Amino acid sequence: MLVAAAAAALITFPYWSAPWASRFATTVVRDALILAIFALSLDLLVGRAGMPSLGHAAFFGAGAYAAGIASQRLATDQLPVTLGAAALVAALLALVIGVLVVRSEGIFFLMLTLALAQIVFAIAFQWTAVTGGSNGLAGIGRPMLGGLDFSAPDSIYVLVAITFVLVALAIWGLTQAPYGRALIGVRENERRMRALGYDTARLRLSAFVLAGTIAGIAGALSAYSTRFVSAQDAGLGSSVRAFVTVLVGGAGTLGGPMVGSALVSLIERIVPSLLPTELRISNAILGLVFIGFVLFARQGMVGLGRFAWLRLRRR
Amino acid sequence: MSPELVFQQALNGLSFGALLFILASGLSLVFGMMDVVNLAHGAFYMLGAYVALSVVQFTGSFWLALLVAPLALALLGLVLEPLLLRRLRGRHLDQVLLTIGVSLVIVDVIGQVWGREVRSLSAPAGLDGSVALVGGVYPVYRLFVIGFGAALAAAMAVVYRRTKIGMLIRAGVEDAQMLGALGVDTNRLFAATFATGAALAGLAGVIAAPVFGVQPGMDTDPGLLYSLVVVVVGGLGTLSGAVAGSVLVGPADTFGKVLFQDVALAVIFAIVALVLLLKPTGLLGRIRIAR
Repeated sequence: MLVAAAAAALITFPYWSAPWASRFATTVVRDALILAIFALSLDLLVGRAGMPSLGHAAFFGAGAYAAGIASQRLATDQLPVTLGAAALVAALLALVIGVLVVRSEGIFFLMLTLALAQIVFAIAFQWTAVTGGSNGLAGIGRPMLGGLDFSAPDSIYVLVAITFVLVALAIWGLTQAPYGRALIGVRENERRMRALGYDTARLRLSAFVLAGTIAGIAGALSAYSTRFVSAQDAGLGSSVRAFVTVLVGGAGTLGGPMVGSALVSLIERIVPSLLPTELRISNAILGLVFIGFVLFARQGMVGLGRFAWLRLRRR
Repeated sequence: MSPELVFQQALNGLSFGALLFILASGLSLVFGMMDVVNLAHGAFYMLGAYVALSVVQFTGSFWLALLVAPLALALLGLVLEPLLLRRLRGRHLDQVLLTIGVSLVIVDVIGQVWGREVRSLSAPAGLDGSVALVGGVYPVYRLFVIGFGAALAAAMAVVYRRTKIGMLIRAGVEDAQMLGALGVDTNRLFAATFATGAALAGLAGVIAAPVFGVQPGMDTDPGLLYSLVVVVVGGLGTLSGAVAGSVLVGPADTFGKVLFQDVALAVIFAIVALVLLLKPTGLLGRIRIAR
C-alpha cells in the first residue's frame, strides 16, 4: 500500500511539483532515476551474486547506442522496437563478455570486466561510421508507444519513472525467489552450492546477462531523455560512477542503489552550483566520499541507517 | 604493406611495447607483493607526465623531469599506502576499491591544476631528430624508448636475481605473511613496494610524454587499460610475464591499428579472450586469474 502510494507519487512528480519546483528539478530526478536503474542492475552482480564488475557501462552504452541506431536505421520511433533492440544488443554483449569473465572471482573479475568493457568502449569510440565516434550519436528518435508520444519533458520523465518502478519490483521479486537466494548462495559459498548440485557458472552467467540487459534498458532511457548518446556513457568513468553509487548507497540491498543515486546526483548536480564555476571537482568529491565509505562504512548509507536505528531502539 | 612499412611499424610496436613494460612492471610488482591491483596506476602515469611538463617548463631539462617525476610519485605512494591501504590490510578487494577513489581525486586535481587541454612535450635535444633506417627515416626518440625499456628490464632482472632487495621481493611475492613472521617489517616493505610501483608509473608517464602525448583520458587509455591487458596476457606478479605481455601487446596493437583501423582493438580483445580461455595464468604467470 505504502509502496504503491510512493510509486504513484514518484511517477506523477512533474505534475504535483510544478507549482513550486523548476523544470530543472524534473530533469535532475529523471537522471537520478536512470542512474538508479543502472545501479540496481549492477547491484544484482556486486551485492547479490558477489561479482564486482567495473565494466557495467559497456552494457549501458550498448543499450543507448542500440536504441539510437535502431531508431535511425529502421526509421521508427516505436518503443518496442528501439527498447527491444537495446535490451537484445546489451544482452548479447553481456553474454560474450560474461562467458569470458564468469570463471574469475574477486579482484580478477574486476580487472577483466574493466579491461574487456573498456576495449568495447574504445571500439565504439573509434568506429565513427556506426557510432559517431567522439562526436557521439545525435538525433535519436522520439520514444512512441503506438500513438502515445513520450518526447515531451514531463512524459519522458513518466516513462523513466514507470520503468524504474517496474525494474525495482522485478529485482525485489527476484531476490525473494529461489533464483535470488541461489545467487546469494553463490556469493557466500560457491563450493557448497556446487556440492548441492547447482550449476554455479551458469547461475553467474545468467546474472551477468540479466544485469547487462537491465543496464541496456537504462542506457536506452538515457538516450531518449537527452536525445543523444555520448561515447563517455559507455566508458570507465560511467562504470565507476555506477559502482560508487551502489557501494555508497549500500550493496546487496534494494534501497542502497536508490539512495546512492540520490547522493551521487546531489554531488554531481547540486554541489557544483554552490562552488565557483572554475572549480570542476565533482569527481574528486565523489572519490573522497567513496574512500570515506570504503574505509569507515563499507555497508553504505543503508547500513549506516540500520546501525543508527538499532542504536536508537536499544535506548 | 611494403617491407619498409612493416619494419617501421615493427619498431613503432616495439617502442609502444617498451613503454607498456615500464608501465605494467609497476602494476605487476605491487600486485605480486600486496595482492592489490592498483586502479590508480593510470592516474599515477598521467600525473608523472604532467609533473614532467611543469619541470620542463621551469627548468628546460627533460632529464631533470625524468628524475623528479618518479621521485614525486614515489613520495605520493609513500604517503598513500600508510594513509589508506594499510588500514584495510588483508581486505584486498576493498583496498582495490580505495584506489578507484584515489584515481578519481588525482585526475580531477590534474585537470584543475594543469587544465583540461591536450598538451605536448618535445623530445630532449639530441633525441629529437630522425635517422635513416631501412629505406626510411625514423624518429630517434622512439629508438631511445626501446633502449630505455630494454635497459630497465635488464636492470630489474639483475636486482631481482642478485640483490638482497630482489630476494625480499621474490620472498614477498611467494608469501608476504610468512616474510612478516620471519621478522621483516612488512609495513615498510609494502610502503616501499607501493612507492616503487607509483614511481614506475610516473617514469612511464615522462617517457611516454614526447611520443604518446599528454592529455585528459591518458589515465585510462593507454594508462590503466593497457597495463591491465599486459599483465592479464603476460601473467601477474612476474617480471618475465610483464616482458612477454608488453612485447606481444605493443606490436599487436600497432599492427592492428594499421591493418584494421577503426576496429583495431578487436585484435587486443581477441588476444585477451584467447589467453583467458587457453592459459588462465597468462603466458608466463603463476597466478590463475580464471578457473
